[in-house]
Amino acid sequence: MTDTSKILSLFRSELVVVNVGPKSFADVLEKQGYKSLQVDWKPAAGGDKRMQELLDYLGGY
Amino acid sequence: MSVFFVIQKDRYIDSLETLSETAMLNDQPGIGTGYVGMATEVFKEVTKEIGLSAPEILAAADSDYVIVAEAESEEAFNNAVEKLRTESAPVDDEEKPVSFRTSVQAKEHEPRANLCQISVPGEYALEEAKKALNAGMHICVFSNNVPLSDEREMKELAREKGLLCMGPDCGVANINGAALVLSSINNRGPFGIVGASGTGIQHVAAILPEAGSGVSQTIGTGGNDLKEAVGGITMLMGIDALEADPETKYIILISRKPADSVLKKLLARISGMKKPRVVFFMGCDREAIEATGSVWAENLDDCALRALELIHSDYSLGSIDELKETAKEAVKGMAPEQKYLRGAYTGGTYLDEAMRTMWDAAGGIWSNAPLSKEWKIEGDSREHTCIDYGEEEYTLGRPHPAIDASIRKPAILKEASDPTVAVIVLDVILTPPGHPDPCGYMVPDIIKAQKMAAERGGKIVFIASVLGTTADWQDIRKQEQELRDAGVIVCRTNYRAALLASEIVKLRRDAQ
Repeated sequence: MTDTSKILSLFRSELVVVNVGPKSFADVLEKQGYKSLQVDWKPAAGGDKRMQELLDYLGGY
Repeated sequence: MSVFFVIQKDRYIDSLETLSETAMLNDQPGIGTGYVGMATEVFKEVTKEIGLSAPEILAAADSDYVIVAEAESEEAFNNAVEKLRTESAPVDDEEKPVSFRTSVQAKEHEPRANLCQISVPGEYALEEAKKALNAGMHICVFSNNVPLSDEREMKELAREKGLLCMGPDCGVANINGAALVLSSINNRGPFGIVGASGTGIQHVAAILPEAGSGVSQTIGTGGNDLKEAVGGITMLMGIDALEADPETKYIILISRKPADSVLKKLLARISGMKKPRVVFFMGCDREAIEATGSVWAENLDDCALRALELIHSDYSLGSIDELKETAKEAVKGMAPEQKYLRGAYTGGTYLDEAMRTMWDAAGGIWSNAPLSKEWKIEGDSREHTCIDYGEEEYTLGRPHPAIDASIRKPAILKEASDPTVAVIVLDVILTPPGHPDPCGYMVPDIIKAQKMAAERGGKIVFIASVLGTTADWQDIRKQEQELRDAGVIVCRTNYRAALLASEIVKLRRDAQ
């Protein structure tokens, strides 16, 4: 059985969303009255998958 | 009308923003068809298709922002552009929100952040999921095309940390009343839902308020959760959480048929549940479900109705006899050659449900996503055909048609130009990031199609169903009324729309 304490704590807390992706998804949450924080995501190393793996290995983002 | 455009170098706005700007542009006085977007290859193709191209647009770079429209005059176009600028611009620079480079940075800035919504290309989803989970946030992953091994890895990490991992490919989840990603806005109430089908969750959650009820939480697991490779991790955690949640009095579980090994695990867990529950696992044995002490549901409509019975509601979606009467009236005035049905769907689950419902009456349905592979078509519709406009051939490089209403737009006039077509069935799905008036957007084409049929001495019947709630900004009642005013028969659900279409097809076959 799952330890549900963290999930139940989410259900009882004010929802604060970090949005990684199109900003409009954050905008519609704000418009519904929920707090959101926008992450301007772009693929690290310009989308180069091999470079990405290397950066991951090095502990970068 | 002439075509006018402006190109702004190196101004980036995302695809959802360009859609709302496009909708706004099309509403401005003196504007025919307009389109707003970044000058990507897809944008260039779309504008070419709808007759809005220009050499300057074709020469623009990916990083350039374009507003293009057919307008009555240059003044009308300039006024529309000005309107877009003032309405879309940030109100005040000081109010401009801060943005962050990573979810970890955002969490450090706002330690109360408790859920991370991830919509990045599938290959990057695991990396973003791990960052968010390691920072202690629950996650809702909208990204699709995530490898099953990545999905398993993120879900195992979430389970280890006691955090909820909704998705990947989770389009619908409603947490603490917030409609995440593509969810409808729901009423709060005593029903908790865990589902592997976004449309399925949204469908049931949208019927509950019709009887004055609503949802506590809806947890989307993503469509792959109940596959062998993932093992139902999120479904099982969701059940545990809703069982423990004091606000949830009843539980609804929705999925296509789970993998055998996962089904076994699930049935064992469901047998031990204490709260009353309704289970709709498409194609699963009724006895097996009932043996767990759960209420079995036959389809999505039935699932909502069985749930409402738990709170002693006698809410009804209407009888089959009513539909038969409606069908008899509807076929009056059709030309002898009119006998075929055409469906233009934006939801894959709805397409599937409709084709299964209409199959026997039609004697087989062609589709780009057919029920069996010998009925697959590419290109134009023939005989009885249903098209899924959410399939990749229509959405590559573009958002889903539930967001971008223009993807399905050509279907109405194309299907109506075939004189053998008797009935056209449409689904409409409301969502906060979607078109502000999806039904109003289709009405001019529906009216044109009806005129075309009348000029040929016949009559085309349009049937539609709208999925959404009165809390949705588009308001389901307003959307339905716009369709009714245009002569469309609006059914309460997709299943009932398909039943009505089946009755019409039978009547037309008998009349031949």
